[in-house]
Amino acid sequence: MNNRRRWLLATLILALTLTTGCLGKREIDDLAMVMAVGLDPGDQPGHIRITAQIARPADVRGQTGAPTAGSGSPIWTVSGEGASIMEAIRSIARFSSRRVFWAHNQIVIINEKLARHGISEIVDFFSRNHELRMRTWMVVCSEDARQLVSLKTGLEVIPGVSLDKVFRYSQIVSEAPRTDMRTLSASYTSTSTHPVLARMRTRDKLINDGDKTDFGAKEQVELSGTAVFKRDKMVGWLSMEESRGLIWFVEPVESRVIVLPCPDDESRPTSLEVKSNKFEVTPHYEKGRISFDVQLDAKIDIVEIGCLTERSHSELMPQLEALADKQLAHEIQAVLKAAQKTYGVDCLELGKTFRNRYPAEWQRVSAQWGELFQNIEVRVHVRTDINSPVLLQKPMQPGK
Amino acid sequence: MKVRITNGLLIALLINMVYAKAIGMTQGIMAREVQGDMWLATIFSTLQGILVIWLVAKTMQRLPRMNIIEHHEHLFGKWAGKIVALLCLLFFLGAYGGVMITLVYHLMDYFLPEVPILVFVVAGTLVGLYALYFGLEVIGRLAFVGLFAVAALNILILLGSMHDFDVRELLPLFQSGWINTLLASRHNDTDWGMATITAAMIFNHVKNSDVWTRSGTLGILYGGLTVVLWPILEAGVMSPEVTSQYIVACMQLARTAEIGQFIHRYELIMVIFFSVSALVQVMMSLFCGSLAATHLFGLKDYRPMIIPICLLFGAFAYWVVLDHHRAMYLLSDRWPPFALSIAVGLPVLTFLLGFLRRKKWQPKKASEEQ
Repeated sequence: MNNRRRWLLATLILALTLTTGCLGKREIDDLAMVMAVGLDPGDQPGHIRITAQIARPADVRGQTGAPTAGSGSPIWTVSGEGASIMEAIRSIARFSSRRVFWAHNQIVIINEKLARHGISEIVDFFSRNHELRMRTWMVVCSEDARQLVSLKTGLEVIPGVSLDKVFRYSQIVSEAPRTDMRTLSASYTSTSTHPVLARMRTRDKLINDGDKTDFGAKEQVELSGTAVFKRDKMVGWLSMEESRGLIWFVEPVESRVIVLPCPDDESRPTSLEVKSNKFEVTPHYEKGRISFDVQLDAKIDIVEIGCLTERSHSELMPQLEALADKQLAHEIQAVLKAAQKTYGVDCLELGKTFRNRYPAEWQRVSAQWGELFQNIEVRVHVRTDINSPVLLQKPMQPGK
Repeated sequence: MKVRITNGLLIALLINMVYAKAIGMTQGIMAREVQGDMWLATIFSTLQGILVIWLVAKTMQRLPRMNIIEHHEHLFGKWAGKIVALLCLLFFLGAYGGVMITLVYHLMDYFLPEVPILVFVVAGTLVGLYALYFGLEVIGRLAFVGLFAVAALNILILLGSMHDFDVRELLPLFQSGWINTLLASRHNDTDWGMATITAAMIFNHVKNSDVWTRSGTLGILYGGLTVVLWPILEAGVMSPEVTSQYIVACMQLARTAEIGQFIHRYELIMVIFFSVSALVQVMMSLFCGSLAATHLFGLKDYRPMIIPICLLFGAFAYWVVLDHHRAMYLLSDRWPPFALSIAVGLPVLTFLLGFLRRKKWQPKKASEEQ
């Protein structure tokens, strides 16, 4: 073998040893896969408590539904405390047999007290974490976050997966914004918009079929409402009604239900479903005055008429459209009032909208936007159009 | 017999030489300067690159059998050639540092943080060294495969990001002012600068010199088009402010992308496609560095210089990437003025000074020959 081939062979063998990919490996059974994490103030002042919901693969059911091994819980919930998030996580390593692995974490739940104290540490830590993805949901709760994290909630075997799917399908409910690390980072670093985070809380929704006296004892977790922030500190909550108004501004609304009193019997409900919509915010700048026009055009279907009525759909539709217009406008005005008057923070991206349309004027007003925003006139225009009564030609009525 | 490659392989090489670093590191640097105008800066830069590659091709067409170093040697003497050879060597040394920053930080920061930096640098350099022995044509063919990797990567990132894209994040246009946007384009200029100087070194290996201007401009144009998708998506999906926070902005976009719920984590697939382009950059930097060293030391063949150049470039790259802060400082503050003075200055100088020695490259008239 000539010299050149010897050198080449030596190089190849050296390259092989360096490119096997074994360095930095972690076997899958060395990993503690975090599925959900909760952050609370620690027992000591200035400390932070982190609660991690970790999957126990041996006790997660297989496809047949039978436990694959053991009959324990599919999750192992542990808590650690420290002066910083990193220290709190490392404190878990003192008793965890596996190394915490963040890549499968679905959700971060922040306790209200911690959120009011400031989330800069949380945003910074999770932004730097190379395992955590920007799709991780971020929520605030008024209870202890560890309580939510340890709850066996939802349809899925692993509660963290349930919480993830609650968010994924919340588009059809549209009662809380779908806030993840991506949207939080964007609003946190924005020069005009303040962050909002969805609210999660426990509700007694689960019925225990095995023990009829146990009705409502097993709590479930639900999305309801929004936490409003000023820079990095939480300043308050938005109610469900205000959250419904907020969502139009911050994300596309795919579908939602509007419940109205039935025109012929106000004690009974009528349900309408938004099928498609166009939502537009138009800024105006005239003689130094800033104002906005909010236009919402929605196509809706009748999905439920809960009262007895002799009238046909075509007779009911104009009345229902007027009621729907009023309700939607009311929700938008409610969130405008909360943002402008109650909290004084632009969480509706109005500053961004203004900046995009009037960039030169924005340069002049941006420094005072926080004060200006509170007194800006916002005109709301809603137009709904009932497209379809869905399957029925006329409302169902008893034959007798 | 000298290796000859087709114009198609040249285009493939130029696209790969622009792509990896431009999407990996440059966009974050530009976002820190001009926020949402980074995609406009990329477009400005591509237009500048097209102009320069046209100039390079026109210049090299004068003496199609010579590279830029031999060009100077022929026109102005041996020492002029050696000075240009030294400049090219230093250029590719610096370029290699940037290429390694891209490769190492992509792989280490996001996938293997506990692996020593030396492993990445040595592995990358060894792959380059191996390819160098096979020559330009083999690297060109890998670049051709790299085109499919680039296309696949762009399609994957589009599929995973479009549903979150908000065009309002790109507005208003020229929010930083058009002058600042133009100035910020200097960072992306260093990326096509690698391609243009590489072209100046290898045009004499490309067949059919009549179409060099066309293939050169197409290479830079297509390279720019494949790159500009990334700043648009980064701004529209993550927001310009978030993009400016990150050292490797494209990996952050890749980690944000998801296709449905079944394929919702595929950045590892994407980085494989990315690595093909990055490795082509490694190979060509080493190849051109070896060529420059060959001319500097008056050798006939570049192969004896492969190992010394790999050692030198590898050591320099290791020093650069060892400290993130120093690496980004060198890349964003020191590299652009140095790189552009050579990437733009050298072709312009060659083109203009060539008129002083017109007789040496202009074809002789038939009557003079008689």
